[in-house]
Amino acid sequence: MGGVLVIEDDDRIRRSLVLALEDEGYTVRGSATAEDGLAAHRSEPADAILVDLMLPGVDGFECVRQLRRDGDATIVVVSARDDTHDIVAALEAGADDYLVKPVAIKELSARLRAVRRRNRGGPATTATTVVVGDLEIRPDAGEVRLRGEPLPLTRTEFLLLCELGQHAGQVLSRAQLLNRVWEYEFGDERLVDVHVGRLRQKIEDDTAAPQRLVTVRGLGYKLVR
Amino acid sequence: MRRLLGLRPLGMRRLGMRRLGMRTRVTATLAVGALLLSTMMAVVSYEIIRGELIQERERTAYRLSFSDANVVKAQLGPGFDAFTALGSLGTGSGRRPVLRRNGDWHELSPERAAEQDIPAALQQMVEDGTPAMQRINTDAGPAIVFGVWLTDDTQYYEIFSLSEQQHNLDFIALVLSLTAAGVTLAGGGLGWYIGRRALRPLASVAEAARGIAAGDLDARLDSQVEPDLVRLTTSFNDMVDQLQQRIERDRRFAADVSHELRSPLQTLANAAAVLSRRREHLDQRSGDAAQLVVEEVDRFQHLVTDLLEITRADSELDLSDVDVISLAREQCRARGVDPAIVRASTGIDTIWVADARRVEQILVNLLENAQRHGGGAVAVRLRRTRVRNVIEVDDCGPGVLPEQRELIFRPFVRGVTAERRGDTDGAGLGLAIVARLAESHGGRATVRDRPGGGARFRVELARRPA
Repeated sequence: MGGVLVIEDDDRIRRSLVLALEDEGYTVRGSATAEDGLAAHRSEPADAILVDLMLPGVDGFECVRQLRRDGDATIVVVSARDDTHDIVAALEAGADDYLVKPVAIKELSARLRAVRRRNRGGPATTATTVVVGDLEIRPDAGEVRLRGEPLPLTRTEFLLLCELGQHAGQVLSRAQLLNRVWEYEFGDERLVDVHVGRLRQKIEDDTAAPQRLVTVRGLGYKLVR
Repeated sequence: MRRLLGLRPLGMRRLGMRRLGMRTRVTATLAVGALLLSTMMAVVSYEIIRGELIQERERTAYRLSFSDANVVKAQLGPGFDAFTALGSLGTGSGRRPVLRRNGDWHELSPERAAEQDIPAALQQMVEDGTPAMQRINTDAGPAIVFGVWLTDDTQYYEIFSLSEQQHNLDFIALVLSLTAAGVTLAGGGLGWYIGRRALRPLASVAEAARGIAAGDLDARLDSQVEPDLVRLTTSFNDMVDQLQQRIERDRRFAADVSHELRSPLQTLANAAAVLSRRREHLDQRSGDAAQLVVEEVDRFQHLVTDLLEITRADSELDLSDVDVISLAREQCRARGVDPAIVRASTGIDTIWVADARRVEQILVNLLENAQRHGGGAVAVRLRRTRVRNVIEVDDCGPGVLPEQRELIFRPFVRGVTAERRGDTDGAGLGLAIVARLAESHGGRATVRDRPGGGARFRVELARRPA
């Protein structure tokens, strides 16, 4: 029940990941293909799923997309590819995080713990309902309504919006958001950009000219009060 | 010392040759050619005109002298008066009739002594009965003197002034000289223009070569512009193509190798982590061996990451607004360095249009370098000049020897203080990455002494329009 699912076609990497993560105290399962991994996750949902991008058959991007459709489990892409294109594409497909190989087990474990905290705990701030225009953020109920309609948000998007909502009218830097939402000391700020982009698709009428979630040049993001 | 002395004149000569460039040579050649030609033309024209003018005057002198001599001769006889006879000739200005009779000289205005102006040899010929003519110089300028024998004791002379001709000739000489000077100047100007035109395609070649040296491998020459230089432009472009392909191949190879190393490294890192965690369950020797594996895997991992970072420096810039102060403070904090050491010149815009990842990597590597070899960073300064954004990181270490200041920015070169390879990280790529990233950002990385001890690393990045 729960635990970590590793979808990785390289046999040795998969075996070593399973070994090392088990050492860190996780329950770990491994799948060599996206199809197997998706089936394993459906039969027994995992808390966190590590996905390699270059997989035979259904590739990593598609795998992430399907996993995301199935639920809000933590999806972390672990890939040897480090092109911005790949990173953005994977995050846009629905991944919560992206790590480039080789990744230290301690780092991976810290990320997984942070994600788990975030998924189990919810926002650390006092959960008060924030109303910004026709956008209503209710951290206690875990839901966001736009013009009265509930919005389908992933866990990360929800936390990001809560954080921005708590400080509506204030600019939050990417580093601050990374620190508060992802609980990372430091990390790839593209994570923030991509999630903001995804969030905009759901809350903005025109993503090319955002009205609610605006970029403040050189500083960060702000939810307009 | 001897070698130095021997080299010096060569160096100077080479400098001199270089200074006399093609354009100067073309200009000088055409100017000298034009000067020679126009001078020659002027001299020849002058001589022809002068000959013509004087001959004309001589013919006139000849005709007038004879007719005047006849007038005088007709009056010879008893009661002859030289003054009356000369007066009856009606000579105007420019003509001086002179009569020699019985050894005396007669003139209308005897203020000048005619015998001084008329050469003795001419007198002798005329007294012998031969009419004679000679060109002379009188006080009043050049002249022609014509002598005619009338009787044994009477000879008639007439001095024709050449002043008017001389005046005309002077004017013509002036005009011809000016023309020659003008032609010379025009020749020089033409040379300069031709030189410039001829060199213009070479200037574009130089421009392109400079661009390529600066890393712009897309620079090419347009063979349409200079049809005469098709061969040059074609081979130049071919050369750059080859160069670009080669660089691209090398880059891709380095990237592929680093990439391919990632997967096995991931396995190694995972396995090493398992070994590391279980070290206490191993016996002493296995534990030591496991520790070595763990440390080396860690170093290997850093090396591969660094290599990838270097190959990435060749990719395109991803420009955005970067809040450098925050970025620098954040990186200091992450390394346990007091963020208060980050200073920006007052009043500068600390939002730079730059590639955020590169700027971050530069800061990280400089801070790590200071930590590893310089006793820690003591100041991080951010400032900007008119064309550059500047990052400076000071440390309080031993500094960098002048002869190593260029060397340390090359891959796999370690500073003197870092000869121990004891620590697991520090493959010697950190500063090389800084240099490459700076170059890819249109700038450069340098190091100098920090006043008061230590090293000052400076990275300049080209400022980009917002």
